[in-house]
Parts: sequence; C-alpha cells; structure tokens
Amino acid sequence: MIRLEQATKFARTRGINKPIIERASLVLQRGKSIGLLGRNGAGKSTLLKLIAGTIRLDSGRIIRQGKISWPLGFAGSFQSTMTGEQNVRFVARIYGVDTRELIQYVEEFAELGPFFKAPVGTYSSGMKARLAFGLSMGVNFDYYLVDEITAVGDVNFKKKCRVVFESRLQESDVIMVSHSTTTIRDYCDCGVVLENGKLTYYDDIEDAISAHNRNMKER
Amino acid sequence: MLVREMEARFGNKPGGYVWAFLDPAANVALLTLIFQAIARAPPLGTSFPLFFGTGYIGFQFYQAMATYLNGAVRANKSLLNYPNVAPVDTIVARYILQLVTTVAVAVVVMSVIIATMRVPPEISWPPIIEAAFIASILGLGVGLSNNVLFIKYPLYEKVYAIISRPIYLISGVFFLPDAIPHPYKDIVLLNPLIHVTMHFRTGFYDEYRALGLDINYAYGFAFLTFFFGMVLFSMSSAVLRNE
Repeated sequence: MIRLEQATKFARTRGINKPIIERASLVLQRGKSIGLLGRNGAGKSTLLKLIAGTIRLDSGRIIRQGKISWPLGFAGSFQSTMTGEQNVRFVARIYGVDTRELIQYVEEFAELGPFFKAPVGTYSSGMKARLAFGLSMGVNFDYYLVDEITAVGDVNFKKKCRVVFESRLQESDVIMVSHSTTTIRDYCDCGVVLENGKLTYYDDIEDAISAHNRNMKER
Repeated sequence: MLVREMEARFGNKPGGYVWAFLDPAANVALLTLIFQAIARAPPLGTSFPLFFGTGYIGFQFYQAMATYLNGAVRANKSLLNYPNVAPVDTIVARYILQLVTTVAVAVVVMSVIIATMRVPPEISWPPIIEAAFIASILGLGVGLSNNVLFIKYPLYEKVYAIISRPIYLISGVFFLPDAIPHPYKDIVLLNPLIHVTMHFRTGFYDEYRALGLDINYAYGFAFLTFFFGMVLFSMSSAVLRNE
C-alpha cells in the first residue's frame, strides 16, 4: 500500500513557483495497477520520483509498504562511464540481489551482445532502454514505477517485454506514466489524473481516461 | 559505492593503480632536480627528496582529497536516481578510497626515499598521523561545501579553480615558514595547511623545532570547515539530487 497524506510539492526554478501537487491525499491499494495521466509538464514524473523517494515532499508525507522500484525511465539511471555490466552489478549490490544471477539474467534478456561490456555512454537509446527494462525485470519489486518505458525496441523485443512484464504483474503492481492510452489500458485497472496540483482517483481506468481527455479539450 | 569508485578510478585505464604512485614520485623528483640546481642544501636536513617528499605528501592528504571530493556528487549524478543511494554516500565512498590511496602512496614513496638515504631518519608516528588526519578532514569539509556551492554558484567554481592553485605555493611544500621574516611570517601562518606540512615534517626530522606551529589552530580550522560543510550539505539534499 502507498498512502499520500496532505502531500505538497512545488517546482521551483528562477522565480517560478508552481505547485505540482498541493495537499493531495490518496491511497493506492495492493493488487491494483494504476495509470497516471496528466498533461505535459503536469508533474507526473516528479510524482513518480516522490513515490520512489528520490526527491522529498515540501510538506505532508508518503507512507510506503512494500518494495518499490526506482522510476524506470528512458535509461536515466545509468552511469554512462560504467559498462552495462558494471551498472547491473551496482544495482545488484544496492538492492541486495545475487550479483551473478542478475548479470546473467540481464545479459540474456537485453540482447546487447559484446556491448554489455562497453560503457553505457556508447549505447543507442534503444539499447539503453533494453538494458533498463531487463535490469528492472531482474529485481523483484512489489511496485514497479514505470515512466514511458514500455515502448522500446522492435516488435520481437516488445513481445518479449510484454510476456515478462505480464508474468511479473501476477504478483506485483505497476504505477505507470504514459501518453499512450492504449498502453495504459493494457496494463492498468485504475487511474489517477493529475491536473492543477490535484490528484483524482478513478476506480475504472476508462473513467480516468475520459476525464483526462476532457481536461485536454478544455485547454 | 566504494567498489564502483574503485572501478572507475583504477579499472579503466592501463596501469590502474600505478598512476596514483607516479604522480607524487614525479613531483618530488622534479622539485629535487630544480632545487638541487639552485641551492646547495634543503632548508632542513641534507636530503632534497626527503624534504620535498614530506612536504608534498603531507599536502596531498588535503589537496588530493579536496580535488577528488569536489566532483563526487556530479560524477555519480545518474546513480542518485536510485532511491537508496544518497548524495552523502558518494562522499563517504570517495573519502575512504582517497584516504586509503594517499596512505598507500605515502608509505611507498616515503619508503623509497628513505631507503636511498645513507642515514635513515628516526620516524615518530603520532605527528605524521595527526597531520594526515587534520588534512583529510579539512579536505572533506572543503569537498562537502564545494559539492553544494559549485551547483548553486557556477561562477564560484571558476574562482575556486583560480585561488586553489597557488595554495600549493604557500603551504610550505618547498620552504619552511621559520625562514620567513617577521610580518610576513604571521600572514603565512594563517594558512592552516602550513601547520599540516610543518607537523607532518616534525615526524621525520627530530631536530626540527617548527617555530610557530599551532596544531590547535589547524584542528579548529579543519573541524569548523567540516562542520560548515556538513550543515550545508545536509541542508541542500534537494539541490544535490535534482540540480
């Protein structure tokens, strides 16, 4: 379970002081996968980071029960001077997973061939995404925080991702940010719409999508 | 984190760890060559390598530490995307790695210098260890502060680069403050690092009296800097995470 209580966070840069979420309270129960919708720049990615704990709230609190992943984005979490293998080993150590097992799993899954032992800085964005996806699937989490990542690679790789991801979702939940309503529909049961610093929860993902579409038409 | 820093620092280029030893060795050799040409004897004792070695290595406990720590958070920026990696982890890892490295370098380089001397000096460990400790704490404080200040004020980073270079010249690596005439001596002694090199040297030269050495001043300066750095660093965790 993840619970937000009166959570408030402002985006601050050079005079701009815009609320991302303001006094938002929300309970996300285990066993439900959630799609997070909102317009460009609404703060969806920031909200994922808040849930993950990499950035802190200005006020209020977030109570987390269960193991939550780091935000899985377009390879944002790789150190470009380290090789793919070193990055994987680093994650294995900080999450207390068996190093050799994880390396083997990711090496097979990501299909990077000899590039697995080359610095991540030399990768194409597709390769990074494959590594990122393989890595996150190699560690067991109760919640996967996914930021627009499922659309990576060619058709075959996508199919493979889908199969693995769906088997993971038997026991784990996902909180997903995506602009593609098809992806959201495929993976999520319920939805949360982020608009003007307010979070609105919908038990049915279809209601969330139509509310989001209404928001988009207004402005 | 420590293993990751070791891989990054020593694993990626041929020679790896050897480079850490070559730099101070080359510096001491160069200083020896230059000064042997212009002076008959070092300000202390008879061995040029020992004089410059003690100065340079004592100074390195600060300088190498501060330089390496300055980039700690920046070099690990993307790894901070993992919620269980905190900015301070990068500092701790680099502090440990740098301290171990400088100690290893000090032992090897000083042993080589001493082995080549006809009359080996009597070594007294307490001042050596104390000086190295003070210098590393001072380096840690400067590093902590700079990680925050470089992000907040990019201009300061340029200024820092300019002012940090001549510190080498005024920290007693190749001279003794004892030899400096009156009003200037007091000014030179305001630099806490000069107390570090003086104290470090007293461990190698038992005849060296180190006039003007005030170890409490060096301690005070180092711990105040460290404290300031800690406060600044912990108050700025948001800045450090998402620049």
